[in-house]
Amino acid sequence: MKYEVVIGLEVHVELLTRCKLFCSCPNSFVPEPNVNTCPICLGFPGTLPQMSSEALQQALIAAVALNCEVALYSYFDRKNYFYPDMPKGYQISQYFVPLGSNGHLMIKDDRGENNKVVIERVHMEEDAGKLIHAPGSGASGSTSMVDYNRAGVPLIEIVTGPDLRSPLEARRYLEKLKSVMQYTRVSDCKMEEGSLRCDANVSLRLSGSQPYGTKTELKNMNSFRAVEKSLEHEIKRQAATLERGDNVITQTLRWDENTQETIVMRGKLEAQDYRCFADPELAPIKLKAEEVEKAREALPEMAEARAQRFINDYKLPEYDAGVLTASRSLADYFESCLKLYNNPKEVSNWVMGEICAHLNNAGLDAGQCPFQPEDMAELLKMIDDDLINGKIAKEVLEKAFLSGKSPRQVVEEENLVQISDHSELEAIVNQVIKDNPDSIESYRGGKTRALGFLVGQVMKATGGKANPQLVNELLIKKIDG
Amino acid sequence: MELRKTTVHRVAEAVLQGEITAHQLIDITLKNCGVLNEGLNIFTAVAGVDASEQARAVDQKIKQGKKLPLAGIPVVVKDDLCYGVLPTSLGSSAFSEFISPVTATAVERLMDAGAVVIGKTNLDDMGQGSTTLSSPRGATANPWQAERTAGSAGAAAVATGICMLAVESDSGGALRQGASHCGVAGLRPTTGRVSRYGLNAHCSSFARVGVTAFSCENISGVLDIISGFDERDAATAVCRDGIQENIKAPGSEDITIGYPVTVFDFLEPELREVFEQARDEFAGHGYKIKEIELGLLREGLQAYYVIALAEASSSHARFDGIRFGKTGAADNLHNMYFQSRAEILGQEARRRSIFGTFLLGKGNYGRYYRQASKIWQMVRWEFEGALKDCDLLMLPTSKNLPRPLQGQSSFLDQWSDDLFCAPVSLSGLPALTIPAGQIEQHPVGMQLVGPPFSEKTLLNVGSASEHKN
Amino acid sequence: MDDRSAGLDKAIEAIKIGVSDPERNQLHIELDQFLDWLEPMLGVDTGDQEGLLFSHDAVNVLREDSPRQSDPAEIQEAAPSFAGGFYLVPKIME
Repeated sequence: MKYEVVIGLEVHVELLTRCKLFCSCPNSFVPEPNVNTCPICLGFPGTLPQMSSEALQQALIAAVALNCEVALYSYFDRKNYFYPDMPKGYQISQYFVPLGSNGHLMIKDDRGENNKVVIERVHMEEDAGKLIHAPGSGASGSTSMVDYNRAGVPLIEIVTGPDLRSPLEARRYLEKLKSVMQYTRVSDCKMEEGSLRCDANVSLRLSGSQPYGTKTELKNMNSFRAVEKSLEHEIKRQAATLERGDNVITQTLRWDENTQETIVMRGKLEAQDYRCFADPELAPIKLKAEEVEKAREALPEMAEARAQRFINDYKLPEYDAGVLTASRSLADYFESCLKLYNNPKEVSNWVMGEICAHLNNAGLDAGQCPFQPEDMAELLKMIDDDLINGKIAKEVLEKAFLSGKSPRQVVEEENLVQISDHSELEAIVNQVIKDNPDSIESYRGGKTRALGFLVGQVMKATGGKANPQLVNELLIKKIDG
Repeated sequence: MELRKTTVHRVAEAVLQGEITAHQLIDITLKNCGVLNEGLNIFTAVAGVDASEQARAVDQKIKQGKKLPLAGIPVVVKDDLCYGVLPTSLGSSAFSEFISPVTATAVERLMDAGAVVIGKTNLDDMGQGSTTLSSPRGATANPWQAERTAGSAGAAAVATGICMLAVESDSGGALRQGASHCGVAGLRPTTGRVSRYGLNAHCSSFARVGVTAFSCENISGVLDIISGFDERDAATAVCRDGIQENIKAPGSEDITIGYPVTVFDFLEPELREVFEQARDEFAGHGYKIKEIELGLLREGLQAYYVIALAEASSSHARFDGIRFGKTGAADNLHNMYFQSRAEILGQEARRRSIFGTFLLGKGNYGRYYRQASKIWQMVRWEFEGALKDCDLLMLPTSKNLPRPLQGQSSFLDQWSDDLFCAPVSLSGLPALTIPAGQIEQHPVGMQLVGPPFSEKTLLNVGSASEHKN
Repeated sequence: MDDRSAGLDKAIEAIKIGVSDPERNQLHIELDQFLDWLEPMLGVDTGDQEGLLFSHDAVNVLREDSPRQSDPAEIQEAAPSFAGGFYLVPKIME
């Protein structure tokens, strides 16, 4: 390609704390507006911010998880600007000294090679509220509505260097970042719910040339897919501009999900002057080097390492290892099952198949799975013990998942125990043979497929409870006999 | 009961012993209030019924056997300190009916100790000033000389005998200059000693909550009650494990007072005389006097204003007319901001916010703000250095007599009045102002400044000097 | 227009305070006076020290997280324009 793509991302991630950053209002989503508010987060005169210990702890974990150097002395600044969703007329943020700097994440580039993406800074700040613009005219059409529930929720901002070379790399970086944030339990990173937000800077330069081209900023992408799409779109637009011999101009563009296009939000403006200075109402943060090291040591095993271990120790295929480690809670679930039932591939099949499907349908995370690892072990043992067959087991799992009952309880209550009794099955087999003379003929004529049909008939007659292997044996014996 | 001639301790004892009920005491106080306030313009709100109710509640608690150290003591509160029962005007006409959801920690603690809030006192525009001249309700007149300002309305209330204690803010010197101009005692405490929660500070770096009273003894009686750790103000964390009082032995011969000769570069001659007399009196009472130099008073004053204005521009940005205050009937967001903010902030507050914005702007931050923060550090070093050789320092409180109510004075003249107070604010040290003498029947105060948490020493020295005068 | 004047107009715009023309003119004069007044401070050799950022010596003042719900109704009474659970502002054009 003639041009080299240069992308940098600025990501805001909401921390999973119980309270807001500077007050004790709950950090939780509620549908009613302005209920999670208090005089502090509304900026009432006379109030002072009170820093959350949990937010600092989580920000520290995030910084070390992103391989950052951690500032042993940092503090908060006031970033001054007006907007109705900003109660104090300034945002409390770490402008001069970010908590974390000079970190990195490794991703695979388009050719499958490692690309080290530099993370320039990780800093704490407070979120703003939300503005709702009611459509239409008249009274409601002449006002915008402000909801401050989100104002003061703790965020970390994670800024990369200009190190991403394609929209796909940008997407991979976001996936990796999300995985790290989730593995460290710092954030749930749900882009559609706004707990992860991403702005992208993109520019083009002639391949092999040194200076960066003029960049544009992209906003309003609400999925990783949208980030990738909008970058692709913007790169094409910039390339076309350059091809025409025009200059790319500095501007901010908004991604329109409906038209799949970027729209200019604002043109070249003088850079906003935020007039930052240290917030005198908060105390600085001092960390000991040992504290930082302790946080580094306490980091959980991340997805990639865990997947590799699954391949090495459990002899799982790469595909399985990838799926199972996509979220920490799913991998935890899998390993908990393994502790109780030591057959990795068998457990993997059930977790990737049935469990993931049911979790998905119910909109649940593996950490909330009502079908506990104990239940999984019990279910698989019942199959081993010929108490139920695989097909019934799926039914049992579903019922247990939905009702919260144990698999054994479901099997007993619904009388699903497999029929392995010879005489009982023999009677049914005889009946099926009697009822299906044509199939018997076909089978004898060499069409072995007809046997499957006959087995099916027996299963049908027993409500699926017949031991399929036994039925097979009996049928062959009877017909061939 | 003549409140000026007694002590907080004695009055509280009388109430606790049942010699007078809190309710009776407050009723008398409220009746006096009208007469004594005549022509002075002390109050933004008088508690009336609410004060009577508070007093009744105090009597009830006493009946239940509560030993309230401030039983029935009438106090006034400067109107930049939030108190959820009366309106908190903050020094803005747009907030004349604002009921704050917050009550300042200091006020809460006084009330828990049995004190009764009888009113909120007048203040400069958004609490910015040391004269009350910029108050949207007009200035408070001086009880000693009604054609001059009181400096602070709380000090005027104490001086007239309306109340026994005034809770006030002090950033650049409002509390101290008020006390000085009204001939009473006023304490600006060490950074972190008294919670600022509930104070609408235009400048959090320097705003402190202090007390004005007729005597040092009365300040002593209340200091412990309002002091100490408050989870809601981070600066008080230095008191989390209790207050490490820095108390000097009471013998005057053991105390060295630093006497900065550099103040004479700025003092008006008549005030110079008072200051020299005060020094001689201290010497006469056995204190050792040591001449020192404080070379950065003027620059400290200027640095104070750079930082105070910069902070005010940011701290007052919350006044956008959306969650509180008044909003103009604007048809678009731009106009809403410009109209609401112009209405909430008076002329002085507008000037300060606009200049503060300028000072923090690109290209100016380094030249002004950073330089000021370095001067801040140097002034602090200078005071610390002076206190290595001395136990405390004496300084004038004001460089001139209070400003006339009618006279024309420029904003810079008024800001310059903080010359001896603002540098002390930068130092973070406690400062007590006490009457030093008089010029033509007009009281003149002086400051005693000590090391961190030396308030008790300052009050002891101040108290001794009151009794000798 | 010199830097000071331009800076002052920018400051008024940035801090969003409506001022009349006479007040603006007066502010231009006063800013000059103020900045001239600051000259002695600007002339001090402050060396390469950092400067002070905080008036207090407290560090790591952290609150334990235990969520508390306030009563929003009491707070909302202070709002000049409030309806349907929302604070209202003039329509913002995106």
